[in-house]
Amino acid sequence: MDQPDVTEDIHILLVDDENDFRQILAKRLKRRGIEVREADRGEKALQMLEEKPVDVVIMDVKMPGMDGIECLKQIKGKYDLMEVIMLTGHADIHGGVEGIKSGAFDYLSKPIELEHLVRKIKQAFHKIQRILAEKKEAAFKEQITQQMVVAERLVALGTMASGVAHEINNPLAVIQDSAGWLQQILEKPEMQHMPRKNDFNKGLERINKAVERAGKITQQLLQAVKTQTTEMADPSTFVEASLKKLSEEAITLVEPEAALKNISITLEMQEPCPAAWTDPLQLLQVLLNLLSNSIQATEEGGQIIVSLSASLEEAKIIVKDTGSGISKENISRIFEPFFTTKEADQGTGMGLYVSWGIITGLGGLISVESEVNQGTTFTITLPVKK
Amino acid sequence: MFKTTSKIMLVDDEKDFVEMLSLRLKENEENVIAAYNGQECLDALEKTQVDVIILDVKMPGMDGIETLKQIKKRHPLVEVIMLTGHGTIQSAVEGMKLGAFDFLLKPADFKALTEKLNKAKERRKEQMERIQKAEAAILLRQSKI
Repeated sequence: MDQPDVTEDIHILLVDDENDFRQILAKRLKRRGIEVREADRGEKALQMLEEKPVDVVIMDVKMPGMDGIECLKQIKGKYDLMEVIMLTGHADIHGGVEGIKSGAFDYLSKPIELEHLVRKIKQAFHKIQRILAEKKEAAFKEQITQQMVVAERLVALGTMASGVAHEINNPLAVIQDSAGWLQQILEKPEMQHMPRKNDFNKGLERINKAVERAGKITQQLLQAVKTQTTEMADPSTFVEASLKKLSEEAITLVEPEAALKNISITLEMQEPCPAAWTDPLQLLQVLLNLLSNSIQATEEGGQIIVSLSASLEEAKIIVKDTGSGISKENISRIFEPFFTTKEADQGTGMGLYVSWGIITGLGGLISVESEVNQGTTFTITLPVKK
Repeated sequence: MFKTTSKIMLVDDEKDFVEMLSLRLKENEENVIAAYNGQECLDALEKTQVDVIILDVKMPGMDGIETLKQIKKRHPLVEVIMLTGHGTIQSAVEGMKLGAFDFLLKPADFKALTEKLNKAKERRKEQMERIQKAEAAILLRQSKI
């Protein structure tokens, strides 16, 4: 493993009851750029770690009060990433072995050779970094796996829902045309004086409205399923789209709605202006959906921030609000079709599902973080032009 | 409203749908006949002259695209409006490339349908008139010789 010769970032705690020895050693280590704190006994060491943990503890085995081994056990029990190097008296191999058995990184016999100690400290520090990197990678893998599980579930749900939508579209067309036919007849001159004509018209009007609503749902469903399954949408519609322009357009469109609740929407971005390789119209649809959700979830006088950034690999859009947030039970289901917490006539539960379908189809990722009563943050990552 | 005496054929395997749409079009004084699959459509075309066909893309057996190809091969002047579901919009584009006049998404708005229907009828009428004129010109020239 590549081990850069850096000692500046290493924080250690030196624990020894022999003041002279400890102070001199501390001074010499500090000269090497290592951050050193000192404790003269085990109890003190534990207390200091409580206040501020370190990377590596260097500790004498033999100390009055709590001895080094006992202190070591407590440290390892409490801080699973902290490494401890034991110092033993000359020829006291027994204490060193005891220390390693209890989880010490290594032991050194006094008199200490400084070079040797510094080398050991670095080794211990690198071990910590390696474990941290492994943990991070495992967490990343876990996150990817979870996203894939979610995606698979959504695709399965989508396939089923789109089948249903297709089947429903036909009878819907029949209902629509039956109602339309009756309306046509009612408009004929010979029907002018038909009794209770208004009631008929009213009923037919309701049928039409309901059909229209159902039609919208099936259309959204089919669109979402289509965008996510046609591999990468239609690449011919992909352009290098300025995220600033798109965000401004989306904000302008929802501003009147936001103004009603006195909500401010601000656009923040990193220069140069980030661009994504994408279908601007579809992305605009997603932005509008996220913004209008945020407005609905945010109280009077709240705030929504859209921030844009880009790297060589990806472009990022973050929509953050100070709204009511999403509970833990709901957040895992938020991208599912028909999932909504709104009133029946307020939302169909299709918006985020459609958005998810679009972003997936565009080769991107959409994720959400939220805290109840604090607000919600949606993050979209999109490919950039290579 | 002035109506041309065009004949319209509806082709869809959904019988209720064909029936209701026929009733609506007839209510608007249109002359409508129905076919419930591609083959029926082609057979009927051999017997009757039809001006505009409203053709569903998704049908069991011979699908809308195949039916369209056959129609255009045998009766190139018949105008065809494709009816497609949201998921089959790609085939609408294909249909247009194969010579369909236009397409409509299902469930189609009746107003949009009648507008497109009228335009298709108009084009068919103009085309027929041009052919008649050309034929008349040929006859005229022949009679002069």
